[in-house]
Amino acid sequence: MLFGRKKKNPVRIADKGVVDWKYTTCGYCSTGCSIEVGLDRKGKAVSSRGVGGADVNRGKLCLKGIFEHELFDSPGRGDTPLLRDRYYEPFRETTWDGALDRVAEGIKGIQSEHGRDAFAIVSTGQIMTEEFYTLGKLARGVIGTNNYDGNTTLCMASAVSGYKRSFGSDGPPGCYDDFEHADCLLAIGSNLPEQHPIIFWRMREARERRGFPLIVVDPRVTMLAQMADIHLPVNPGTDVVLLNALAHVILDEGLEDRAYIEAHTADFEAFAELVGQYDPVCASRICGIDEDTIRHVARVYAGAGAAMTIWTMGINQSTHGSDGVVGINNLNLITGNIGKPGGTSLSITGQSNAMGTREWSSCSGLPGYRSLEKTADREEIASFWGIDPDFFPERRGLFQTDIFPAIETGQIRGLWIIATNPMTSMPNTPRIRKTLEKLDFLVVQDAYRDVETNEYSHVYLPAAVWAEKEGTFTNTERRVNLVRNVVEPKGEAKPDLWIFNEVARRFEQGRAITFPETAEGVFGEMRDLSRGRMLDYSGMTYEKIESQRGIQWPCPEDSETGSPRLYSDGRFQHPDGKAQLIPLPFVDNNERPDDDFPFWLNSGRVVEHFHTRTRTGKIGNLNKFSPTPYMEMNPDSSRSLGIEHGRYARLVSRRGDAVVLVQLTQRVPPDMVFIPFHFHECVNRLTLGLLDPHSRQPAFKQCAVKIEPVAAEDDAALRNHAARAY
Amino acid sequence: MFRKRDDEPDYARIPRVQAPDRNQYGKALNLLGEDDALAGKSLNINGDDRVYEGPDRYRQHGFYFNADNCIACHACESACSEKNDLPPHLAFRSVGYVEGGTWPAYARLNISMACNHCDDPVCLKGCPTRAYTKFAEYGAVLQDPDICFGCGYCTWVCPYNAPQLDPVAGHVQKCNMCVDRLEQGLKPACAAACLGGALDFGVIETTPRNRDQLETRIPGFPDPEITHPNIRFQQTRTLPREMTRPDSTPVRYERDAQGAGPFHTRVRDTGTTRRAGLNGLRSREDPLVVFTLITQAVVGAFLTLFLGPLFGLDVLSPAKHPVAYPALLFALLGLETFALVLSTLHLGKPHRFYRAFNNLRYSPVSREVASLAVFYNFLSAYTLIGAFPGLFAWLPDDWVRGAALATGWGAAITGPAALYFMSRIYRIAARPFWDHWQVLTAFYGNMLALGPLLAGLPLAVALHLQGQSWATFLSTLALPVIAGLGLEAIGLLAHARDMRRRGGEGAAAHHQQVTTFGWIYRARNVTLALAIAFVAVLAIVSPDGPSGLALWAFAALLIVAAAVTGRALFYVLVIPTTMPGAFFWKNPGFQEHARTTGLADMPQTGLVADTH
Repeated sequence: MLFGRKKKNPVRIADKGVVDWKYTTCGYCSTGCSIEVGLDRKGKAVSSRGVGGADVNRGKLCLKGIFEHELFDSPGRGDTPLLRDRYYEPFRETTWDGALDRVAEGIKGIQSEHGRDAFAIVSTGQIMTEEFYTLGKLARGVIGTNNYDGNTTLCMASAVSGYKRSFGSDGPPGCYDDFEHADCLLAIGSNLPEQHPIIFWRMREARERRGFPLIVVDPRVTMLAQMADIHLPVNPGTDVVLLNALAHVILDEGLEDRAYIEAHTADFEAFAELVGQYDPVCASRICGIDEDTIRHVARVYAGAGAAMTIWTMGINQSTHGSDGVVGINNLNLITGNIGKPGGTSLSITGQSNAMGTREWSSCSGLPGYRSLEKTADREEIASFWGIDPDFFPERRGLFQTDIFPAIETGQIRGLWIIATNPMTSMPNTPRIRKTLEKLDFLVVQDAYRDVETNEYSHVYLPAAVWAEKEGTFTNTERRVNLVRNVVEPKGEAKPDLWIFNEVARRFEQGRAITFPETAEGVFGEMRDLSRGRMLDYSGMTYEKIESQRGIQWPCPEDSETGSPRLYSDGRFQHPDGKAQLIPLPFVDNNERPDDDFPFWLNSGRVVEHFHTRTRTGKIGNLNKFSPTPYMEMNPDSSRSLGIEHGRYARLVSRRGDAVVLVQLTQRVPPDMVFIPFHFHECVNRLTLGLLDPHSRQPAFKQCAVKIEPVAAEDDAALRNHAARAY
Repeated sequence: MFRKRDDEPDYARIPRVQAPDRNQYGKALNLLGEDDALAGKSLNINGDDRVYEGPDRYRQHGFYFNADNCIACHACESACSEKNDLPPHLAFRSVGYVEGGTWPAYARLNISMACNHCDDPVCLKGCPTRAYTKFAEYGAVLQDPDICFGCGYCTWVCPYNAPQLDPVAGHVQKCNMCVDRLEQGLKPACAAACLGGALDFGVIETTPRNRDQLETRIPGFPDPEITHPNIRFQQTRTLPREMTRPDSTPVRYERDAQGAGPFHTRVRDTGTTRRAGLNGLRSREDPLVVFTLITQAVVGAFLTLFLGPLFGLDVLSPAKHPVAYPALLFALLGLETFALVLSTLHLGKPHRFYRAFNNLRYSPVSREVASLAVFYNFLSAYTLIGAFPGLFAWLPDDWVRGAALATGWGAAITGPAALYFMSRIYRIAARPFWDHWQVLTAFYGNMLALGPLLAGLPLAVALHLQGQSWATFLSTLALPVIAGLGLEAIGLLAHARDMRRRGGEGAAAHHQQVTTFGWIYRARNVTLALAIAFVAVLAIVSPDGPSGLALWAFAALLIVAAAVTGRALFYVLVIPTTMPGAFFWKNPGFQEHARTTGLADMPQTGLVADTH
């Protein structure tokens, strides 16, 4: 000791008494971090840490993962099934048999009276792939409704649609290792430091080693924009114009990869003709990026040995979401940047298992990237499941965003919601409330009893959360990773797989089909169904996945490990084996700011929260960083309105209003405000959510609002507080 | 003991690098000689007595923060809170930020800050209980919550907000440098968790791989001269000339020229229309308002009683008031007992009060408490001897008289000395609003103004009831009262002038004083001036009778009102030189809002009642 006590006291440091670490995979975003949960002597989960040898996160975790062990005991969990006849009556507790019988009766009743499709199912991106597959089997093969979709329509639908249009199939072709090879990185509407901190870390480490240029397209000066070499503060909703203009310059100046275009793409002429109309001067008038910068970026991108583009909701959540993805694919196809190290179109996915639902849930068709529209696919699955192929519809039914209007007008009478919270997450939530109260029968299956959508349910089924069960997740780079069962479900909560199997048993057709009881048994069916396809799981087993800390598909039966990239051979999934170059005409159909509603309303997420805060809103060490909604607003615009930093303001749109705390910052442009989307009764009371014509994904990030100061601060505080159950 | 992962990645290990012999402040990096008796000892972490001898174990270690790279992802704070099992309302490490520029040429500088394990640990020196130790091992400054009694003084003196007072547990905790990880050759949990390439750790004055600078300052970071902190910075990205904080603290940072020179702390005119009401004067330091004022009044009153006769005020000699005089002394003793109990209950763990004397060598708190204890004992002895002469009848008269004289003089000397040490408590470099000689003039001013009235008014009442004249007596006592009020006024004038002149957090606090608290501040000043004039008039006019007494009582009321308001302002207004907060976390404005609106009642808001 240098100062202080003469006698050395023993040093005491918190010791959580971990005796066992269990391997699992993070259940928040789709980065897919391997995580170990520490159990103490009593078997209680007390600690989390990254897995050092896992390629994805290499020992690191973001703050949500660091506290993930606190999920199991967080407040608001459901631990017993609940029932009621009307949504405005109090719930009464029931047994699982009571609840499940009621679910089966409800479904059968509605279907017999109003037709099979009058009962809809909206699922999620949060549960295990095996559960998705089982739910798909139940929905398509037993219940037989064609109105079955996932909340991925709110997040990745545009990426799926864009991949399918360009390459003939869903499936991100790249991987995180591409950062190690890229000579240029274009990030459009993706704020890695906030949304995907671990992917940011991988990118940043690679950039520190090799120093490639980073170009960020985002109207806000996000942390990533601040780190960028070039920041393009694009006008909201005009990414397609920017992408067309970049292609214009590349073709105009002969910077394209002729050989690649000729060998691997189709329809180049129509594409070239269309982008010919988007010269940088005209484009600059629309997208707000000056012509010199457009030319410069195009030259840098085309001139790079390998260039990659990443994007997230900035592209997906717009009226041109699918077109934006196609535009990115176009850019990479004409520069020969698909399927090679450092050259790719990599959608950075949102939910832990958004990929799993895309691959196996049958929401958009049939399992394993099969489609209802193909007779061969219908027959193959029908015979595998042992049902009549005619039981399948011949084309896909409604998307989530079309299911709600169909409820509104009475075509759909019953709904089963699994691990998603449309009361907070859908645009225009005043309309969603009106919609949900019309339902004859609503089943909410969720780990949290206080999930806001439960306000309108007739049956609540308490589900196990994350590592209270076992199964696999697929991450952004197609890596299938294992969630080992760490602790028992809380109270009487049950794994979603068990719930689906139990519902299936209550249908005649369900008893005729095999529903494996264990996740690993289901995984066996998936392996069989994927053998020899692009989406090939056949070389994977649970043990192999755990020992390799995740395996990227395709992983054929006899191969040691997975494949980092798709389309490396230049063969695509369209029947002709080529990628499509698709012309993208632009029509601005957004609700733009005007005299009455003079501000753009932008929304997005913050690092400490996940989705609608059902999980992160209850963990104090996360929630404390933003416990209540706020708005970023430019101080140059607030002054004349009398709006002050740290006080409340009211926003009004053509749909509704919201009160938020005001954070004045030059991070946002003067004609835009930004509000995190996580909070109930907040930003989505304002949003319009025009739908993308291809993906049916809502444009959450573009609508118009007006803003006024709040005279009665106390009332605003009260109103805000009243909307916060957590 | 901490066990590392089997597959611990390289970035988590502390690299071995060449380091200079001395740091930038001229201090040797080696904290022990080769064969020092302190070397080769176990840190005894959680009872593990093995000795972990790493190569650099006795060199000063510290954090390295690359401000260019921090993305405010909170991974460092979270890894820290997870490892140390902290409830949401505590954080050993916090990330705040400053920002500047105009869209899209906007820059935000995030700052992650924990304990800097300083060369000159002001927390250690300030702590009255000696809960802090600076170890030769890694130069870590560790705090032991089992010793701490929760006075929170370390949270006042630390410029970086490192010690965290837990209002629930009633003690302080802070960053422990993860010495358990260091013993295994690993960086602290925060540095190993960093995702931005910002936070690092190693032997101080060594530059991590791919980093260039070893700066001791960045905007928003307090003056390193206060404590010689063991943290080094890199900050190469060009910043706007002016940076602001997102929290409610009314300071901003500005450099004299674009791209050159250090950032200075300046006042940020919040332009707020909010005006504080009288409730705004309440704080968790309320007990200290009462404690300091009573103590100062009691010392002053005792001096009046004891020294009065020496100045020819025969009225004050004990013999004249066989009942009132001892009663008054007992009253003073009672008041002081109350004040001391109040200040003890102000502790997080009052039952450990006796530890207050443990750090006489360094801590002004220990010295204040010790000198106050001596004063209190002298006062008690003097009171007993005066009140119950019969008790001491068996002693020779000379002895009793001598004892009375000795205890009287003892109290007369230690009382003002205690007030001097009391004023030293507030001379904190990290609290510029307090770090001014005005503290001493205020404390002595209150002693002179409140003391004579506290002693004189009851005696005047007694005289009045006995039908004797008291007007001249009070007119004489008016002299020290006016002197005290004048002393306080002069101090306040100089304080206001100097705060404005010095800039920084002191000026910001003063700015709050004249804006948000403007009407209260002015009302106090007017009251003080009125009190001086009023007492002067009373002294000259020398009114008599019951109405005269009422006028004097009113004067006393004015003086007490000014004193209480002034002392409350003193505690409420101070702005520490702490790190910038964020919009919610560590934002005093939001915390207050959340507490008043009930948001803070939800535990996951990360706020608990701000009691003490």
